[in-house]
Amino acid sequence: MPAELIKVTINGQEFETDKGARLIDVCREKGFAIPSFCYYADLALQASCRMCLVRIEKMPKLQTSCTITCTDGMIVTTESEEIEKAQRGMVEFLLANHPLDCPVCDRGGECELQEMVFDWGGLEERFTEKKNYAPEKFLSPIVANDPQRCILCKRCTRVCDEWMGEDAIEAGGRGSHTVIGTYGGWLNCSQCGNCIEVCPTGTLLDATYRHQTRPWELSRTISTCTFCSDGCQLSVGSRGGEVMRVVARDRYVNGLNGEFLCIKGRFAHPFVNHEERLRTPLIRYKKGGKLIPATWDEAIRYTAAKLRAVLDAHGGESVGVVGSPRLTNEANYALLKFAREVVGTNNYTATEAFSLVPFFENLGAPLATHKDIRHAKTILLIGGEPEELQPLTGRQIRQAVRNGGAKLVIINSVPIRLKHAASQFIQIRPGTEDAAVLALASKDDAGVAARKLNVEAGALEQVRQHLNDAQGDVIVMFGGELGAEAQSLLAQLSFTFGEKEGRRFLLHPLPLFNNSLGVHDLGLMGGALNPLEILDAAGAQLRAMYVAGSFLRTHLEGREDALSKLDFLVVQELFQTATTEHADVVFPAASFAEVDGTYTNNDGFVQRVRQSIPPIHQSKPDWMITAMLADALGTDFGFQMSSSAVFLELAKQIPAYEGLRYPLLKDESNPVQARHALVGQRDVSAQLVELRSLVEGIEETGETTTQTPPVGHELFKLGTLTSKVPQFHLLAAGNPEPESVLISPLYQITIDPALRDEAAVAGD
Amino acid sequence: MFIGAIGCEPLQLRRVNLENSRSIETYRKNGGYEALRKVLDRMSPDVVIGEVKKSALRGRGGAGFPTGMKWGFVPKDSPKPKYVVCNADESEPGTFKDRYLMERDPHMLIEGMLIAAYALGSKATYIYTRGEYRYLIEIMDRAIEEARAAGLAGDKILGTEFSCEIYTHTGAGAYICGEETALLNSLEGLRGHPRMKPPFPAVAGLYGCPTVVNNVETLTAVPDIIKMGGEAWQKLGTEKSGGTKVWSVSGHVNRPGVYELPMGYEDMEKFIMEDCGGIPNGRQLKAVIPGGSSVYIMPASDIVGKKVKMDYEGLVAAGSMVGSGGFIVMDDTVDIFESTKNLTEFYKHESCGWCTPCREGTDWLVKVFKRIARGEGRPDDAQLLLDIVDNIEGKSFCPLGDAASWPIQSAIKKFPEDFKRHLLPLTNGKESGKEGLPTI
Repeated sequence: MPAELIKVTINGQEFETDKGARLIDVCREKGFAIPSFCYYADLALQASCRMCLVRIEKMPKLQTSCTITCTDGMIVTTESEEIEKAQRGMVEFLLANHPLDCPVCDRGGECELQEMVFDWGGLEERFTEKKNYAPEKFLSPIVANDPQRCILCKRCTRVCDEWMGEDAIEAGGRGSHTVIGTYGGWLNCSQCGNCIEVCPTGTLLDATYRHQTRPWELSRTISTCTFCSDGCQLSVGSRGGEVMRVVARDRYVNGLNGEFLCIKGRFAHPFVNHEERLRTPLIRYKKGGKLIPATWDEAIRYTAAKLRAVLDAHGGESVGVVGSPRLTNEANYALLKFAREVVGTNNYTATEAFSLVPFFENLGAPLATHKDIRHAKTILLIGGEPEELQPLTGRQIRQAVRNGGAKLVIINSVPIRLKHAASQFIQIRPGTEDAAVLALASKDDAGVAARKLNVEAGALEQVRQHLNDAQGDVIVMFGGELGAEAQSLLAQLSFTFGEKEGRRFLLHPLPLFNNSLGVHDLGLMGGALNPLEILDAAGAQLRAMYVAGSFLRTHLEGREDALSKLDFLVVQELFQTATTEHADVVFPAASFAEVDGTYTNNDGFVQRVRQSIPPIHQSKPDWMITAMLADALGTDFGFQMSSSAVFLELAKQIPAYEGLRYPLLKDESNPVQARHALVGQRDVSAQLVELRSLVEGIEETGETTTQTPPVGHELFKLGTLTSKVPQFHLLAAGNPEPESVLISPLYQITIDPALRDEAAVAGD
Repeated sequence: MFIGAIGCEPLQLRRVNLENSRSIETYRKNGGYEALRKVLDRMSPDVVIGEVKKSALRGRGGAGFPTGMKWGFVPKDSPKPKYVVCNADESEPGTFKDRYLMERDPHMLIEGMLIAAYALGSKATYIYTRGEYRYLIEIMDRAIEEARAAGLAGDKILGTEFSCEIYTHTGAGAYICGEETALLNSLEGLRGHPRMKPPFPAVAGLYGCPTVVNNVETLTAVPDIIKMGGEAWQKLGTEKSGGTKVWSVSGHVNRPGVYELPMGYEDMEKFIMEDCGGIPNGRQLKAVIPGGSSVYIMPASDIVGKKVKMDYEGLVAAGSMVGSGGFIVMDDTVDIFESTKNLTEFYKHESCGWCTPCREGTDWLVKVFKRIARGEGRPDDAQLLLDIVDNIEGKSFCPLGDAASWPIQSAIKKFPEDFKRHLLPLTNGKESGKEGLPTI
């Protein structure tokens, strides 16, 4: 419904605007600068900084423009002597007890308070009294706090509550002794650092970056996060070939995530410059021998010769090619091209945790974007745990419920934290997610499904009713628990419920990795074998394997020896992992901060990864290594050493990416969605029959847990990358409170190095 | 200490001096619960609200908002539950009337709350007292139990379809929780800071439901309004300020106490000098803060011979306000600089810290006051104080900022000499001659 247009007069000029629009937004949109600290779009109103004062005719006092909604005929003055005096008065108050230590403050140079003072100039300091004092301290291994600089805008407490649903920090004390603090003195939360991001001053500080550099010394590159499938846009701050920090501050980057990032996106970047990064190509000349450093020329030549020998002896199908959902579309495309054109094999796959191929084959409704989620009216979440695995999706769900009044229905075997936001939470027996889909897709099977799920049939009927009666967007999300048949039926769910005026079904898969969708789009997941099968085939059907990245811990479980059965294994990696242990040649690959390329997120957005620092040591982008290898085997890929050429070719070959070019993807605030083919209504009766028999075969056993998993049980897990960050070790060890909060806990708590070695090989 | 009425029949204080005045028997013997009976038997909620409107009863907590109008704001068709909350967070310095009303006549409050609940369609009511009034909770709880045993609270009151629960709750000792929205936050278990208005509590108050928050004295006036009829009750006072008002008199008078006066009592000077027994030790009257610490201070010259009428309009005309009726009398031994410093320290201590001007402003004010008191006052400090106050007044989130500003403004304006004395620095034994005060 389009909003009614009304007229408001601002500083003598008449404007048209939507009825009920927020005055501060309208003024700013029309070019009138209004200062504010506590106002933050889409957070609860605070109206406490009193900076955005304006004069509105017929109102007795100055009004805060953040709390005023426009009405017809409103006459507003935003600039006058009276208003400036009031605003200067507020800044004077804010600076009264402020330590004015900008020269040693990490936020100096990008501090909103500092900028406000600089903008106005001519501020006289009349406060000559003794300032209130509070010591600088650590709130967690990741968050440092200097309470004296605080202006109590409470953006931090609001994002903690509203975005994260954690409520981990809150104001304590009262009056001028109010400080932002934690419950019990130590911050036990998901350590997302969003409180640091939204802080307008240097009160909450990134403890990993503290006192490292000044913001103006950093070169900033807008890029895409390399952890989960949400694809948050971030700004990589680097100096002298080193990644110093990652932020999402809106002055630097304006992506789908706003200023939101999770702990991994924001704080797990130190792996990039970690000392254990592979420095040169390595060759193991003899099985069981050591990996010995080699030059690129030698390593490429050696690999080409070995592969050639296998190809000649056993043919193309004897070589497996394995991509990775961690790598760019460009890298995976090069691998696919290598498999098809150089090797001539169908034995390719990617080290993905679960396949979404059946889902995309039956895709009956468009993919939901994160914006769609925020404005959805109904959200159905089957399995998965977005607040740990896709934190941005988790935030969008919470905001949709809290600010948009969305109905959230969760079907999960574990009482995940998000259940507190749900209007209906159905706890099912572990491993029976497929049965829930059966119950939704086929009313007749609801009885047997309910028995297998160990829930009352009425609960499922209620969900069906919800979906049937829903108005607005209905978003169906699912995690990795679903089997192929269930995925197919879910992808066709919009047809199960049929067309209805005012209701739209949208789908939102929850894969685990930054480019999970990319490897599906490229077709890498459509090879003859899946990751487990390809490991099983090692040494039998497969004689050699070319792996970019590493197999996951879950792949290698019970198959630890698989890779050692190969005649020849080539791996390109950042670090030594369980996969490189068996490699005959290891190429040092460049990390996300060192390459240009694209990732495709779970919205289907194809987003740019940009090079922010030159490749570390002798590493090279994955696609380049593949192209060099192809060249040595006699095939020129024609990439001319440029990732844009790879993408250009990719866009020609892959229908969903048709017409895309790097220049079209340059605006991170306006991401481009890949055009996934909608297949329309499919006959899924075969899958239904199959699913029915699958569900009937489910054993009615399995303990359900009433225990909500602790915050961070997935986020803090040590993997190849996160194990390179010491703070993650403290968090993984339960975030113990140090003896003194004045000193970094890293100096007080000993980290067990064994944990890192164990995690380092995990590959996740 | 005197407790009683002057110039009118005691209404609010009718029973306070009786033996065993807390008990339900005494209350009933003296006309108690008759109004409730009348309301339940013969009056519709609208008629009750109409009578309260006619009575010109104004909120006794300090703001003086017409009570009938406040009740009328509660949406009748709202499907949400409605709440009546009694604000017994009597924390305004100099105010202690609610304490005596509850301590000595708890059933009058209960009856008032039940009538209000009936008029507003509320099934649950709350009495929120300040933390220091914990002992009153016991008295109130006992009275509520007595009422319940007599079928006057709980289910099916007096055998009618009307049911209403009364709950008691104590704050943790914060002045700000006397502000109605901060009170609601505190009652909900949240941090005691004010909420944004609008929405006003009448629309979205306790737990987001329509809520009326009334002062103790406002609610205890209701039974008499019902019994006498709104018009008759209003006639006890003036046209715009109906009925009687209970004043808490403290300070330099011979007979401090709790006084019930008709609204529009004709002369403040007479009240101080005769009714309250005059100033002790033959001292002179210097100043009066008539309505609790948050109102403008009145110098003796504005009172003596001026026939100041003691009601809302009369006190505004005289340059102050009724406020909460905390009547503080000061004789000529008082240094107004010191008394203002004391008050400012109170406001600094009680500022909740939500908004910038009140949090930082009061902190700064106290620091300046303390510096001056140390003998380090500078000539322009009075101007500085006024400037700070000007940046707080009208710009804070809730009225606490204003409340902190007004005493300072009026004190500097009305008693410049008291400030001057502290400000004029001595240079070489001579006064610097630099004027420390703005020309007023």
